[in-house]
Amino acid sequence: MATQHSRAAARLMISPSVLLLLGWMLIPLGMTIYFSLLRYNLLMPGNNPYVGWENYKYFLTDPAFTAAIVNTLLLVGGVLLITVVGGVLLGLLLDQPMWGQGIVRILVIAPFFVMPTVSALVWKNMFMNPVNGLFAYLAQFLGLEPFDFLAQAPLMSIIGIVSWQWLPFATLILLTAMQSLDREQLEAAEMDGAGPFSRFFYIVVPHLARAVTVVVLIQTIFLLSVFAEILVTTNGGPGNASTNLTYLVYAESLLRFDVGTGSAGGVVAIVLANIVAIFLMRMIGKNLEA
Amino acid sequence: MARKVTTQRMAVNTVVAWVIGLLIFFPILWTILTSFKTEAQAIADPPIFLGFNWTFENYIEVQERSNYFRHFWNSVVISVGSTLLGLVIAVPAAWAMAFVPGKRTKDVLMWMLSTKMLPPVGVLVPIYLMFRTLGLLDTKLGLVIVLTLINLPIIIWMLYTYFREIPGEILEAARMDGATLRGEVVHVLLPMAVPGMASTVLLNIILAWNEAFWTLNLTAAKAAPLTAFIASYSSPEGLFYAKLSAASTMAIAPILIMGWFSQKQLVRGLTFGAVK
Amino acid sequence: MGRITLDKVTKSFGDIEVIPPLDLTIDEGEFVVFVGPSGCGKSTLLRLIAGLEDVSSGQIRIDREDATHLPPAKRKLAMVFQSYALYPHMSVRKNIAFPLKMAGMSKEEQDKRVDYAAQVLNLSDYIDRKPGQLSGGQRQRVAIGRAIVREPAAFLFDEPLSNLDAALRVNMRLEISELHTKLKTTMVYVTHDQVEAMTMADKIVVLQAGRIEQVGSPLELYRAPRNRFVAGFIGSPKMNFITGEEAAKHGAHEIGVRPEHLQPSTESGMWKGTVGVGEHLGSDTFLHVHDTGLAETITVRASGEMALRHGDTIWLTPEADKIHKFDAAGLRVE
Repeated sequence: MATQHSRAAARLMISPSVLLLLGWMLIPLGMTIYFSLLRYNLLMPGNNPYVGWENYKYFLTDPAFTAAIVNTLLLVGGVLLITVVGGVLLGLLLDQPMWGQGIVRILVIAPFFVMPTVSALVWKNMFMNPVNGLFAYLAQFLGLEPFDFLAQAPLMSIIGIVSWQWLPFATLILLTAMQSLDREQLEAAEMDGAGPFSRFFYIVVPHLARAVTVVVLIQTIFLLSVFAEILVTTNGGPGNASTNLTYLVYAESLLRFDVGTGSAGGVVAIVLANIVAIFLMRMIGKNLEA
Repeated sequence: MARKVTTQRMAVNTVVAWVIGLLIFFPILWTILTSFKTEAQAIADPPIFLGFNWTFENYIEVQERSNYFRHFWNSVVISVGSTLLGLVIAVPAAWAMAFVPGKRTKDVLMWMLSTKMLPPVGVLVPIYLMFRTLGLLDTKLGLVIVLTLINLPIIIWMLYTYFREIPGEILEAARMDGATLRGEVVHVLLPMAVPGMASTVLLNIILAWNEAFWTLNLTAAKAAPLTAFIASYSSPEGLFYAKLSAASTMAIAPILIMGWFSQKQLVRGLTFGAVK
Repeated sequence: MGRITLDKVTKSFGDIEVIPPLDLTIDEGEFVVFVGPSGCGKSTLLRLIAGLEDVSSGQIRIDREDATHLPPAKRKLAMVFQSYALYPHMSVRKNIAFPLKMAGMSKEEQDKRVDYAAQVLNLSDYIDRKPGQLSGGQRQRVAIGRAIVREPAAFLFDEPLSNLDAALRVNMRLEISELHTKLKTTMVYVTHDQVEAMTMADKIVVLQAGRIEQVGSPLELYRAPRNRFVAGFIGSPKMNFITGEEAAKHGAHEIGVRPEHLQPSTESGMWKGTVGVGEHLGSDTFLHVHDTGLAETITVRASGEMALRHGDTIWLTPEADKIHKFDAAGLRVE
């Protein structure tokens, strides 16, 4: 639906974005792949010999790698589960008539505005600290032993912190989707004899499918590369208990200065992210077309 | 038509929602309150909720000790700069995809989004080394470039969804009225897209303001934005809760305030234009 | 000023040819209506003239100048869109002044022309409002105002009345016709409504599947449709078509008689049938007649007072010189 003239203009207008993103994707990617085949350590200057798959062998057989994969999956899956379920429940609650709805909504959205380093620090020190944290006081008040969250359940604690940051996002999207549901559809279902539970499962849930897809897609993108929360709270520890793939690669390359191994890890991370991406894009492509 | 709701039901809803809302908000509230306490009051046992002597000491000390305003300014330059630069690159692309769609437009859009799937850690090493060679490490310019590139797909996607709501006939009318391509975009498309662009800008400023992978890895003292400034407070364990709270409050306040004042655009933006 | 010539123009979208080679001349000052069922290519044809789409081959000339590859802005044409396409963020004044501003006209000249257009179109009271605050008819007039200020070589209208309610549509039809009489500028008007075509056009172009079926004045098309398609499309209610033995009597494959050219009678006539539904319009009554053995239903115009009921027997007699004859290919036979 356009002329050759406007099609030519369109190509011209889209090319800066395409070239920039292509460059941003291909150049560092090429370099990462190249580095991953070298023995390359910033602490040992000199020539960087080609070593083939050695870095990959080293990275993939490192027990830290398996731990990091498991942790990454637990982190992404756990946060998605908590935020989607919590988001649906909160959305349903906020969709009800009440006094001060606008203010409650502001309160619920607020954690999304908090930068990861701040939320990690606040939770770590002021809530989860086993001596001075509020949770410790609470445990004491209830006559329980204070629990050292970040030492004894580091991954769960981080999942909790990250969920707190992303719950507002899920809630807001799901709430918006609920509000766009045609009331007449619900009334028609009621006339057809559907009770509240049937209405929820047969009308509301299918209507929310698209919104849930959006939540899952966008959150997965951000959750795969959770970094600051781990850096600030546990530094990946104790041991590798809270090291995810992102943190592991960071540690290899910028803490141990092993560029070769770090790059191999980066390539592995990219391959894994692509597997997830293909899976998600399939799902999204279908759901967003409609 | 909304059904009449009983006062009782309304009251129950209100109480439940407020309790949950306040619980979710509590960590922020507690941080703000603690920032006005003395260090001793901050770790008092039992915790003091409101009955303490309000003081601004902590704020003054944070500014003196670690030069809050410089980091604040870095954050402003980096988030606003990368958003505006992104907008300049994204507007033409979104125009092209929304109004001159071709067979492959959907694929291009999906490809652009998929670049977001590239884990930053996968390209951390080359970017770090490249920046070191180019002298971009610990500079605002370096961060503006990186944040523009990582948020570009989101900006394009959001503008695309907003532009698509604008009927193509109006742009054709402008063309018939003698407008050049530039005139069409500047006089007709952009003014009509103001609400959508506001949402896009707000969301991207927030994402850039809170971005904590590249800002932590590519800056040291000079160009560090607030994310990195705050991270420096993680070393002295405990004991400085009041100062930590003051620094945290200052780091999140600009975005909280901006977010609350522009709630309507932001809510629209937060859904990334994908849900109506 | 305002002569548009299409010379072997074609248009394809991918492999699909929507306009096969087409020739057409629109004379200066003419009011030409493109009419046809939806999907017949009439809007595409208009967009080709406007320059909003490229022709796949052929030439478009405006005032003898080759305009085939000119961008829309350079063709000196103005267009009124189906959705009016007003700029929602601009006041009525700014909307109307937009093409003048784009042409780089001085502010005083812009104001002078806008005020004149607003006066002609009765828009002076709303000049500072935004389109969102106007009714459908007022929006329509703003769209027309935006078109007339630049004094184009020709106006293009793309189904401009289809978003208005029935009463307003009749009014606007008159207003546009009056505007044409006043301005004497070429107008090209696209519609699917044959009543609009009949009432407004100097020249009607009937299109089907991108092909021109017939070009002519409203009465030419009514009196001598060139084929069965035009015969069925022009005129309301539709012409009755009869095949078989009865058609053979007239030496044709198929014959057509308009409802207004059938004489109804309760006593005698050529064709006998039973009255079905009657549509009473007051001035006329249209009766649907069944069981004639000629066609499933035959529509006939009776006078408003004809007292016939559902199930009554009726006799119909066609006026001999008003019978249209068609051959097996659907073409008119004299």
